Amino acid sequence: MITSIAWKNVWRNRTRSLTVIAAVTVGVFASVFALAAINSSIVQRIDSAVNEELSHIQVNTKEFRSSSDILNIISEPDKVAETLRKTPGVTDVTGRIIVRGIASAPSGSAGVEITGIDIEKEKQMFTLSGKLIPGTGSYFGADTKLNSAFIGEKLARELQIIRYILTAESLTALVDKGVPSAVTDRLKPLEGQRFTTEKKLTEAYYRLLTPKEIKKYGLAIREAAWSYREGSRVILSFLDVNGNQTGAAYRICGIFRTNNDLFEATSVFVPMEELRRLTGLEDGVYHRFIARLEENDMTDRVTPVLKEALPGLEVMNWKEIQVDLAMIADYINQIYAIFMVLILAALSFGIVNTMLMAVLERTRELGMLSAVGMNRRRIFLMIMLESVFLSVVGGFTGMAVSGIVIGITNHTGINLVKYSEGLEAFGYSAHLYPTIGADFFIILTVLIVITGILSAVYPARKALQLNPVEALRGE
Amino acid sequence: MNVVEINDVYKTYHDTEVEVRAVNGVTLSFTKGDFAVIVGPSGSGKTTLLNLIGGLDQPTTGEIIVAGHRLSELKPSELIDFRMEHVGFVFQSYNLIPVLTAAENVGFIMSLQKWPKEKRMARTGELLEAVGLADRHNSRPSQLSGGQQQRVAVARALAPRPEFILADEPTANLDSKSAETLLDIMEKLNREEEMTFIFSTHDARVMKRARRVITLEDGKVVSDERTNHRE
Repeated sequence: MITSIAWKNVWRNRTRSLTVIAAVTVGVFASVFALAAINSSIVQRIDSAVNEELSHIQVNTKEFRSSSDILNIISEPDKVAETLRKTPGVTDVTGRIIVRGIASAPSGSAGVEITGIDIEKEKQMFTLSGKLIPGTGSYFGADTKLNSAFIGEKLARELQIIRYILTAESLTALVDKGVPSAVTDRLKPLEGQRFTTEKKLTEAYYRLLTPKEIKKYGLAIREAAWSYREGSRVILSFLDVNGNQTGAAYRICGIFRTNNDLFEATSVFVPMEELRRLTGLEDGVYHRFIARLEENDMTDRVTPVLKEALPGLEVMNWKEIQVDLAMIADYINQIYAIFMVLILAALSFGIVNTMLMAVLERTRELGMLSAVGMNRRRIFLMIMLESVFLSVVGGFTGMAVSGIVIGITNHTGINLVKYSEGLEAFGYSAHLYPTIGADFFIILTVLIVITGILSAVYPARKALQLNPVEALRGE
Repeated sequence: MNVVEINDVYKTYHDTEVEVRAVNGVTLSFTKGDFAVIVGPSGSGKTTLLNLIGGLDQPTTGEIIVAGHRLSELKPSELIDFRMEHVGFVFQSYNLIPVLTAAENVGFIMSLQKWPKEKRMARTGELLEAVGLADRHNSRPSQLSGGQQQRVAVARALAPRPEFILADEPTANLDSKSAETLLDIMEKLNREEEMTFIFSTHDARVMKRARRVITLEDGKVVSDERTNHRE
């Protein structure tokens, strides 16, 4: 009966209750959706870090990360590889040789980390091959020669292997894509000009187009002007085992694009045999072993096992290598909970206000309830239930709307290409696919109920302080 | 058998610096089946006395014993349970719960007392029929006239079979016809269920029906007359 009365009381003043419910709905939706978007960004970043850059566990000598000495090789590599393979949870192992050097092209040079890889094994263990930009070649395809290099887009830009040119063909393609010919006509003065960076191209068309046109067609123009010179070469120079300068011209077999600018700007992948030949490193010698695990969740369990098994080496998992990312991953649920507590605390003020009004309006009725024998516990329960119903209806509606919107945007994605430069500098994708775990909704439900209960305390105390005689006398 | 015993009861209020004796040395008793009215001018202490009898307020001095309970010895929480178990209240402004139907209002106190549903529904039906509202089970208070609402309030007060009914100016807001109907019903319930009714009123129609008229002036009982209206 108390529950039924409390529910009916919620709908006594429909407008007021619906206003509070709408406020809770909007608050919950906005925060859940924002968290889902942030979560997706973090999940994508972790996924990209593990599957494209780091894998789960890396093993090298203790001095390798701080010293660029090519002789920091792993001793007894076969034994180490065997230990890794036999460790429960490890599914795949590969070795790499890694040298620091300079990549040069006619228009620029950059410091890079050149990694010699076992191509077939890397294809199985990483998804980097899938990040190949179409039209830039292949990931060490069948026709690839030994002196081929797979490099990042950022490095390609720095070396000006990628340029921006608006040709007559690209302007026609823009019209085909729906860009008005009035816009492409105004871009004609740029036809044939070479821009070494995207920024320079952008500055050029900013002078010719209106802000509205730039906003609408800027991305299409940049994509149309993107130009890669097939068969470009890059000179890689580094030191060999004897400390002599060595190097060679490498043909670029493909360019990859990830969400991590730093990784793109500093990574060059080449076939291991060629790097061995140039550096003089013997067969079977490695600087680093990379281990892949069955599940990402096993990382914390397997790492200490390997550390104990390989005491003379540095065993680091992706969380230890990318500490900031690991911290976010480990504390994400706590961060979400704190965020939601703050949002719900703000919403609770609205609920307290509404409940207080409801109590003060019903002074006489509460006096009557007390007079006829409704005890303090039941009055408190009734008011608390009203508050919980307000929170829960608003909260569940907010969660339902969030679920629907997250479901749709998870499928369609959210395009933040406008901010890609900033996001990718920190390794985050400009395309978000919002996602959030079911466990978050369970935590949120508990928090919403707690908000309802806490919001009822002050109004309920006010109700309990009423003297039935005075309450019955007053309006 | 005495249902209510009031022994030398005083109730004093301290409004600012003035001491107000709302009830001033009242000694009274009510027996089972009484149909009594407390009358007197405004401020004579009628409502205060009713509140003291109903356990809504505590006397400053003196003793009130209701159904064997010394009210001054009960804790506030015990007083609430006492009211629920022993006293039926009918208020001037009806005070029904607006979100509940007539039947739900009547069944409300029984549900607080955890009556089984079937028993509760049977009693509700019986009482709504007794007050002439058998066809208004599902009407909300806002869909009923003042007289009908007060009849629902009477049914609610009677539902858990209390020791007595305290009715504070029950006809004050009713037109003549509704007031007469309500009084007919209360008289009938008094007669058939031997339910004790104690009214406070200014209404001559109520006084005319009463079998006992207690007059208060300045918080004191100035007369206590028994009549033979029933006969």
